[in-house]
Amino acid sequence: MSWKKVCKATDVAPNTLKKFWIDGGIPIVIANYGSGFAAIPPMCPHMEEPLEISGVISNCVLTCTKHLWAWNLATLEQHGTETEKDIKSYQCKEENGDILALVEEEIVYEFDDEDDMDDDSFFAKS
Amino acid sequence: MPARNHSQWLAKPKLEGGEWIDSRVYSDQNVFDDEMERIFKKVWIPVCHESELPKPYDFRTTSIAGEPIIIARGPDNEVRAFLNVCPHRGMLLERRPSGSFLEGQPSGNPKRITCMFHAWQFDMKGSCVYVAREKEGYQDRLCKEDVGLRRLRCEVKFGGFVWVSLDDNPKISLEDWAGEPFDCLRKSIDAEPLEVFHYHKAIIDTNYKLWHDTNSEFYHDFMHYHNRVTGFNDAYFARKNFAFKHGHVVVGTFEVNYENYEGFESRGALSFPHLPPNQWYMVDLFPGMNFNLRGSALRCDVVTPLGPDKVMIEFRGLGLKRDTPEERETRINHHNSIWGPFGRNLHEDLIGVAGQGTTMRPHTEPRQILHGRHENQTIHDEIGMRHYYDEWGRWMDRLPNDPDQPWHERNPGESAEAAE
Repeated sequence: MSWKKVCKATDVAPNTLKKFWIDGGIPIVIANYGSGFAAIPPMCPHMEEPLEISGVISNCVLTCTKHLWAWNLATLEQHGTETEKDIKSYQCKEENGDILALVEEEIVYEFDDEDDMDDDSFFAKS
Repeated sequence: MPARNHSQWLAKPKLEGGEWIDSRVYSDQNVFDDEMERIFKKVWIPVCHESELPKPYDFRTTSIAGEPIIIARGPDNEVRAFLNVCPHRGMLLERRPSGSFLEGQPSGNPKRITCMFHAWQFDMKGSCVYVAREKEGYQDRLCKEDVGLRRLRCEVKFGGFVWVSLDDNPKISLEDWAGEPFDCLRKSIDAEPLEVFHYHKAIIDTNYKLWHDTNSEFYHDFMHYHNRVTGFNDAYFARKNFAFKHGHVVVGTFEVNYENYEGFESRGALSFPHLPPNQWYMVDLFPGMNFNLRGSALRCDVVTPLGPDKVMIEFRGLGLKRDTPEERETRINHHNSIWGPFGRNLHEDLIGVAGQGTTMRPHTEPRQILHGRHENQTIHDEIGMRHYYDEWGRWMDRLPNDPDQPWHERNPGESAEAAE
């Protein structure tokens, strides 16, 4: 486990998110919420939505605009009435103008598996 | 024969009952409506080729008998078909002709089919995975598990074509439906993966069966000037039509001598696997599909009837997936020189059926269409059409030469069920 440089602090403007790749493959989104930075996996835990595209930040709160799941980026607490899952994140710090993240392995969310209904009996159900 | 007055014109021809049909078969709205219910909603239709959705989450949309359909390849590489209809309020789910679900739509998410209307979402197996504000609106009365897509019978078969049936319990399996007529082509088209390199469609003001009729007889080579002057030889006239159960016909093989075709070259070097050089085969499937393997290129026509006097015909050209760029270029050239928009005969065929469509518009006076040529089942024999309309009569329970009369009364024991 080690701290990895992701980008410069000036690469991500306040209240925006940007996607980077570290170690030649792990994708990380850096969110600048004004009073700090968060390093998160790039997908919304709800339905795999890319947050660097569909996420908006206002008053420290990251909202996925597809179904309005939201989290406070300073505390990582769920925000609002729609959110059903926690957001995961990498530890993150700013050092000498660089943004560093503590990365051991890629954080991925578990999404529901699709049911297997490929047997022929599917068409016989009533 | 002198010209005829009205009653002479309307008199029945001096041919047997199965040797002519009534033009209402091609022009009557009720007949058309019956065809959609009794035939097109029951049979297997090749809606596209698997190479047209090469990657997971690729999709195409089409329709059968007016019902909109999505064909999608799942992350497990399986190709599945669904009604392109949202179970909520009946919105058309996907409007694009083809594309990928890998990237999310404006109202949806990656890897999902999303209804743009109220943002309901479905996965590649048709399961509903998101209902907007589900608990607030439905409490526990209705949930995602209750509102999956309508999945359709779908099989990839006979050279990688994607076959769909709107009938959940088809009386005939796809193998039994088309296995025998495809026997002559199977080794060649199933030896290795094929790939579509040509697609175009024509929407013609004519009845779909008139297109199939043209694919079922070669007497109309008199319209194809080049075929007539360079193709009429002993081998050409020796070809036979073979009738198969379920209304299908295969035109026997022969070797095309391209030296007789001005500006053409032999296709031997690029002939399909297991196919003798420059050989040619054609399979006509009831109720309106045609597969034509001309040495180096496979053509497939599929009709989508849009009304008694309107049909969409989709034309696909296929080669081998492993073609080098040079081989592919040659194959495309071979295909287009015969079947492309400026090819040897396709556009002339379209003129033929458009002319028939003009004389058989709905509400034109019923007339007789002759299918009576007998030439020992050879290439100018009209047996293909007679065989087709026998099958048509059984499925429709209508007599082709008197379509208001039931088939089963004149042919006891030969109802649609008996035919199956």
